[in-house]
Amino acid sequence: MQRRDFLRAAAALAGLPLLSGCRQLLGWGLPIEVLRPGMADGHRLRDSAALPPPRSERRVDTVIVGSGVAGLFAGWRLAREGYRDFVLLNGPEPDGNAAAGAFDGWRYPTGAHYLPLPSPESGHVRELLAEMGVIEAGGDSLRPTFDERVLVHAPDERLWRDGQWQDGLLPRGLGADDDAQQRRFLLHVKQLQQQHGADGRRVFTVPTALASTDPAWRALDGQSFAAWLAAHGYTAPGLLWYLDYCCRDDYGSTLAHTSAWAGLHYFAARGGQAANAADGAVLTWPDGLNPLLRHMRVRIGAERQLPGAAWRIQMQGRQVQVDYVDAGGAQRLLARRVIVATPLHVAWHLLPQLAGLGFSRAHLPPRAPWLVGNVLLDRFPKEPATSPLAWDNVVYGSASLGYVVATHQLIRAALPERTVFTTYHALAADDPATARQWLAGASADELFGQAMQDLYTVYGARLRRQLLAARLTVRAHAMASPQPGFLANAGLAALRAADGPILFAHADLSGLSLFEEAAWWGDVAARRVLG
Amino acid sequence: MRDRLLILSVFVVASCGLAYELIAGALASYLLGDSVLQFSSIIGCYLFAMGVGSHLSQYVKDERVLDTFIEIELLVALLGGLSASSLFAVFAWSGESFRLTLYALVFLTGAMVGMEIPLVMRALNQRQQRFAELVSRVLTFDYLGALAVSLLFPIVLAPRLGLARSALLFGLSNVAVALWTCRVFRGELLRPTLQYLRSLLVLLVLGGGFIAADELTHWNEKAIYGDDVIHAETTPYQRLVLTRWKGDLRLYINGNLQFSSRDEHRYHEALVHPVLAKLPWARRVLILGGGDGLAAREVLKYPNVREVTLVDLDPAMTGLFARSAPLVALNGGALRNPRLRVVNDDAARWLERNGDVFDAIIVDFPDPSSFALGKLYSVPLYRLLSRHLADNGLAVVQSTSPYHAPRSYWSINATLRAAGLATTPYHAYVPSFGEWGFIIAAHRPGYTPPQAYRVPLTFLDREATRQMFFFPPDMRPWRVAPNQLNDQRLVHYFEQDWSQVIR
Ligand SMILES: Cc1cc2nc3c(=O)[nH]c(=O)nc-3n(C[C@H](O)[C@H](O)[C@H](O)COP(=O)(O)OP(=O)(O)OC[C@H]3O[C@@H](n4cnc5c(N)ncnc54)[C@H](O)[C@@H]3O)c2cc1C
Repeated sequence: MQRRDFLRAAAALAGLPLLSGCRQLLGWGLPIEVLRPGMADGHRLRDSAALPPPRSERRVDTVIVGSGVAGLFAGWRLAREGYRDFVLLNGPEPDGNAAAGAFDGWRYPTGAHYLPLPSPESGHVRELLAEMGVIEAGGDSLRPTFDERVLVHAPDERLWRDGQWQDGLLPRGLGADDDAQQRRFLLHVKQLQQQHGADGRRVFTVPTALASTDPAWRALDGQSFAAWLAAHGYTAPGLLWYLDYCCRDDYGSTLAHTSAWAGLHYFAARGGQAANAADGAVLTWPDGLNPLLRHMRVRIGAERQLPGAAWRIQMQGRQVQVDYVDAGGAQRLLARRVIVATPLHVAWHLLPQLAGLGFSRAHLPPRAPWLVGNVLLDRFPKEPATSPLAWDNVVYGSASLGYVVATHQLIRAALPERTVFTTYHALAADDPATARQWLAGASADELFGQAMQDLYTVYGARLRRQLLAARLTVRAHAMASPQPGFLANAGLAALRAADGPILFAHADLSGLSLFEEAAWWGDVAARRVLG
Repeated sequence: MRDRLLILSVFVVASCGLAYELIAGALASYLLGDSVLQFSSIIGCYLFAMGVGSHLSQYVKDERVLDTFIEIELLVALLGGLSASSLFAVFAWSGESFRLTLYALVFLTGAMVGMEIPLVMRALNQRQQRFAELVSRVLTFDYLGALAVSLLFPIVLAPRLGLARSALLFGLSNVAVALWTCRVFRGELLRPTLQYLRSLLVLLVLGGGFIAADELTHWNEKAIYGDDVIHAETTPYQRLVLTRWKGDLRLYINGNLQFSSRDEHRYHEALVHPVLAKLPWARRVLILGGGDGLAAREVLKYPNVREVTLVDLDPAMTGLFARSAPLVALNGGALRNPRLRVVNDDAARWLERNGDVFDAIIVDFPDPSSFALGKLYSVPLYRLLSRHLADNGLAVVQSTSPYHAPRSYWSINATLRAAGLATTPYHAYVPSFGEWGFIIAAHRPGYTPPQAYRVPLTFLDREATRQMFFFPPDMRPWRVAPNQLNDQRLVHYFEQDWSQVIR
């Protein structure tokens, strides 16, 4: 064996596990809780079919299956329009990917944490925000006035590079070429923001359903974002790292596995504005986007929300029969219409007739696994005087996504005595199946080591002294990631168009996972029910 | 027996050696921050110096081994024992040479400590010990000593004795080893009496230092603050230091002057009376911040006020100003007044959670010098405030200086307006601070300054009041934006303003 090989092998065998072992050791004595929402029910659904005969049967006009953003938005719309004859089945994971938790009173997100200022096309989201009082005035104008308390407070973002913080997330100081390419790219996407297709629609919009269908622009979906960038002379490492970070952050996939259309969409589709904030501002709450869901639940009414997970959805004559299981056993709902607001890989097992609707297994979008860590800290870690703790803190070069501070939006005379940091990690480096295998087999300590990666890079091991508890949320099938070709997915198009007794509503229908997309499909389905 | 003693002294010597290293590391992290860097560079320097010491030990002649050992003990005792106190002093009196002194001290101590063990080994070797056994025993005790201190220091010594005294204690242990070696090996020393005397001298110095350590720290803080420190306390929220110089009592929070008893009456009269003199019917008053009770003293002059609620985060602060005799004399016992209720809570959180309405609200928050503090000068906070303000009540906000920090001052004014409040700006000259600013806020416009006061005042009268509400040409309003939480312009303004002031 060559000396070099030996060293490499030694590093692989001893060094690397040792390093991650250290991170794990740092969890020693800390209460680490691992949550795998939806896993048990999902796997039971996948693995077996038999269900005892239902103990109850109930008729209702509409059933919404699933209580993520899409399901709740559908319910919110129905309730808002005065439609009462419906129920909503929570499923194994109330609030889905926009769920939240709390360490005695200190709330934090376990999924979605921010919403960009909604553009005029996202009228449905603006309506919800206006009802909540988050939009205080000008809901129909280009620039509404937002409640300042939920506009992310300064300082909003910073980037850790070479042992120091920089403002903002674009890495600076990497050389003139990198700077120039960064500027060129930003200018480029700024132009794309205003770009219209041959059909007169904007090329990139949120919701994606309103975007131009001009094939000339849709052709972007034929290549990866990485290939598109290379073809356009974007080669600077700083810029590429940043763009890769953005893709992992929004889609859970790397540059090479993201459709160029989706990659550009991230930058060119937003562009919402506010009367009282700069362009590009975002909205957030201590527990991420969960307050939006809580608000929709209040509007829907607790009496319409049922615990339990669906088991089978099928036609029974002209009715739809929804069999589900709750603590009391098997139950049945008979409805005129059903809105299936579960992820599609779940719907696949719920609905034997999915193939009849033009959706085959091959149409299931690939799903990115995520790991979300929440740690409760007593006292804030020490920060350099020149760069105070920001809301979103990212580590340059890291394969992880940094951490968000749950107490950032609090208005306090002194720093709160405790805080929660939320770390995000999309397992984008490996293919999803391998990553899921790792997630399934990893011990709590190993998961903790992964979730803490960026925090330990920034603060070092001394952070351990401030940790009081950790809660890790494993989302092995978290979101659909928009790989090249995702726009042409005919199965998704069929489900989007479905307007029979069974309707669909989920971010999956867009092929990319954003609050506005999920809400959009909930809205569309509800409007179809309302007729 | 003698050999055992020598071995035991290895234990003590090793303990002390590690202790100085830890003390230097802790002190440097405390004063300079970035503990990982401080500890690793100090440990590195120290270990290297020990290597140098070991190397040098070969030049000690065989017959001088024990004498040199004693001398080294005494030197280590002095260098190490006084290390913390002298480093504090250097930091207080001449900040610049701190790092240099630190590393020089660490290096010298390390070099001395590095000589100890080789010398002991040689002494034992001369006494025909078996080499294998010798090495093993010496090193065993060396490491045991290190273990003992590494546990004792963070758990017992540093918290109980503080750094200065811990160092002195270890210095005394070194002296003890020296004295003890003098006694036991009297016959083998070249100059026993001299070593004895030297040891006693060092004992005296360190013992004196141990007793006077508090004085010393006190004296150092005086160097930092300039006056006699009559009270210093680190609370979970802030460092409070109270100084007195010829009857002038001053409070510093985290090193920033809060008030001087010479002229605080100007500040507090200006803060309170333009509001309260206009509200003869006011019954309930809220004070946010102001844990010193000085604004409360002014408020309590009005017999119509039945109930004062003072919200201040730090119980140590309100406790101090309710108990300490000179402070109680200054605030007239305001914090013990039965009409006043102290709430120790975060003022912003309290506003969020409490529903009470007040006739007058006095806001005395710290300046918007950080993003966290800037939030206290924001539209959401002022809206919250206005929900606690009675329909025809008045609020007043301490608003930095319209002269020295005009952007900040007028930005606060704009923010209050953006929150829907009608504002009336004014200012007063407070010698310790310069020209200082306040803003009165109400639900409706129409505030006019009082023409007279019904309570005894030192600073304000009709003419002084008129001048407060007059803004001469060099204090004209600035056109600046309100403070929005998503960009916190005020914090940038504040930085900009004060960077242009040479103070
Ligand atoms: C870690 C993470 C961070 C994110 N951050 C952001 C962000 O910052 N901003 C943003 O806009 N978006 C973000 N997203 C995306 C956003 O969270 C999702 O787009 C959105 O929450 C999806 O909502 P949904 O209703 O489509 O689906 P889901 O959230 O997947 O909800 C599915 C629902 O189906 C239910 N269900 C499952 N099985 C059954 C069953 N058998 N019977 C009945 N019900 C069932 C579940 O209980 C759940 O309620 C993030 C996503 C993740 C994973």
